[in-house]
Amino acid sequence: MAADRRPSARKRNAGERAWAVAFASPYLLHLVALAAWPLLASLYFSMTDYDLVSSPKFVGFDNFARMFSDGLFWRTLGNTAYFAVLFVPTQTALALGLAIALNQRLRGMALFRAAYFVPVVSSWVVVAYVADAVFNPQTGLANQVLDFFGLPAANWLQDPALVIPTLAGVAVWKGVGYMMVLFLAGLQAIPEERYEAAKIDGASAWNRFRYITMPGISGTTFLVLVLTSIETLQSFEQVFVMTDGGPHGASELTVLHLYRQGFQFFQMGYASAIAWVLFVLVLALTMVQFRLQRRWVHYA
Amino acid sequence: MRVRMLAAAAVAVLTMAGTAACGGSADDSGAVTLKLGFYAAAGDPADTTMRELVKEFTAANPTIKVELDVAPYVKFFERLRTQIAGGQAPQVWLSDGVLVQEFAARGALADLTDRVKTVNADDYSGIELNRDAKGRIYGFPQGAQTPVLFYNKKLFADAKVAEPTADWTYDDLAAAAKKLTKDTNGDGKPDTYGFRTYSPGFTESWWPIIKAYGGDIVTDDNRKVVVDSPQSKAALDWMLGTMGKDGFAPDFATTEGLGKGVVHTLFATGRVAMSYGIYARTLPATSAGVDFGVAPLPKGPSGRGNVAIVNSWVVNKKASAAQADAAWKWITFFSGEGPQRKWAELGEAIPINKKVASTALPADRHAFLESLDAATDLGANAVWSEYTEALAKRVNEALSGATPVDTALTSGQKEAQEVIDRFYAGQTQ
Repeated sequence: MAADRRPSARKRNAGERAWAVAFASPYLLHLVALAAWPLLASLYFSMTDYDLVSSPKFVGFDNFARMFSDGLFWRTLGNTAYFAVLFVPTQTALALGLAIALNQRLRGMALFRAAYFVPVVSSWVVVAYVADAVFNPQTGLANQVLDFFGLPAANWLQDPALVIPTLAGVAVWKGVGYMMVLFLAGLQAIPEERYEAAKIDGASAWNRFRYITMPGISGTTFLVLVLTSIETLQSFEQVFVMTDGGPHGASELTVLHLYRQGFQFFQMGYASAIAWVLFVLVLALTMVQFRLQRRWVHYA
Repeated sequence: MRVRMLAAAAVAVLTMAGTAACGGSADDSGAVTLKLGFYAAAGDPADTTMRELVKEFTAANPTIKVELDVAPYVKFFERLRTQIAGGQAPQVWLSDGVLVQEFAARGALADLTDRVKTVNADDYSGIELNRDAKGRIYGFPQGAQTPVLFYNKKLFADAKVAEPTADWTYDDLAAAAKKLTKDTNGDGKPDTYGFRTYSPGFTESWWPIIKAYGGDIVTDDNRKVVVDSPQSKAALDWMLGTMGKDGFAPDFATTEGLGKGVVHTLFATGRVAMSYGIYARTLPATSAGVDFGVAPLPKGPSGRGNVAIVNSWVVNKKASAAQADAAWKWITFFSGEGPQRKWAELGEAIPINKKVASTALPADRHAFLESLDAATDLGANAVWSEYTEALAKRVNEALSGATPVDTALTSGQKEAQEVIDRFYAGQTQ
């Protein structure tokens, strides 16, 4: 009879679920108010003509259709792709190289690691000032170096052909420290015994790197590639403060184009459509990376 | 019971929110709260003076309480757009002159045409520059800017070159500029240039030059782009020559390489002996202690190409009747002699009160007033920011030498026209 007075298992579960929801409610509220709701709103706006002043007018897929014939949109997408092609492999390779170089048990190594991390925590405005000191065509260090070797001066950020490589270089300088730390963590997770066994078997340094280090950090490499690719497609601050998309739009990336459409040209509907296309591109790229990782990433 | 308490709480919250939202309307005592927005950097003299004027205004109008909404230029207009979307925009704000029609065409501004009829239009500059294609006025002038020719008296005296006169032509300008260009350290590059031709701010660069050469940028109520013409080509070719074969002006890359905004200090730092500059450029030149004069823009084949921007007070269309009346009171107060004289002391804009302008500006600055009288507007329409950006990209490509002038003008005209057509297609206003 005593068992009859106890709540049934179903009731107990319901009670626990209610408590779980109650404890999770601040986060759920945050998720709905600051993520889900704006996401759905922007999906709706992407199918409207919305100028921020008058009420949105539903236009179906007109904004998406416009994008196909918007030469500027395609140009910015091309600029973004070019930036990504330069930035992603360079940063990944350099971060890995630095991590290997700094993965030593020597005095003062922490100082070097910290030094590479300093640009990561600097704001883009500060970095823009530093970059100007380096790439200013009249007074910059870069042209002084070229001059030292008897090479002609370059208009780094003012030359349409050089502006994106220069921006990619600065972005690598700023971001490489963070990815280096991820690689360092990956390197330190590889058991030392594997290297010892390989040495006993007479494996060369290159073979140890090729057959132990690379597979050992393939999970980290995958993470770095995914993070860097997403970061590149979302790049905004850097071009906003350093070039404002110039010269003549040569460094206008897609998110800057989106910002201008929405916040300067009163076309929030079109800007939302661009945002969704960008989201789909990021998603597709990430899915492709996830699909390909099965062939080369080892989690053991 | 719990449901009732929740409902009561919800009603209380909604009532409070409603009360807060209605805070700007006049209450029974006739008091009204007015949110007034303007752009200025914190601690800037303009910020300080505006706050002092608001104090004077509220002292004279005790039933009006003013709440200030201030931010630097870019931030102010970025925020304004979202404030309008959220129904939180000021009831009266200072607008860049070229943005008045952008906000008006989207229904954000109150039509001030009838209110403007109540003042003597002859007493103020710039009212007509704010009139749209249908004769409506959405902004009342606050301060005016128009480019004139700045020249450095010392550099002219050192080079023994006669100072500019009102009769100068573009040939006279070029002849003097060549004599004023000096390579003082012998590195083969000029250290002082005679003239600053290119500027990312086209009001002080290619816009008036194209007009002076007989070209135009937009016509037909600023809805038809006509920049692709032999006259515009002649103007841009002249500009390219100044930076190229004639070599008396810094080229595109040199100017852009100076960094954001530094182009405006070229004259103040003595790097160029002459420059087109709006009234606000007198401030850095004066601060730097430059002994300078101003002259009318030189005459081109078709005149001087004077243009002007009239920054204006605008009233939010969603303002209540009491707020709109209070806003108009502020506008007429600000346009009065006392406030205009105080604002003129800042030296950042030509006073729009003609009586004040004629006395507050020194006699040797009256070229600004003559230029303002002769000026046309800067092609303002509902998509000014977007179409001028499309056009400027192409013109700057030509001025940097990256694209032939005629190709740049053809593509610039096409792309700018597409922007205008996209907006006005199907519009009735």
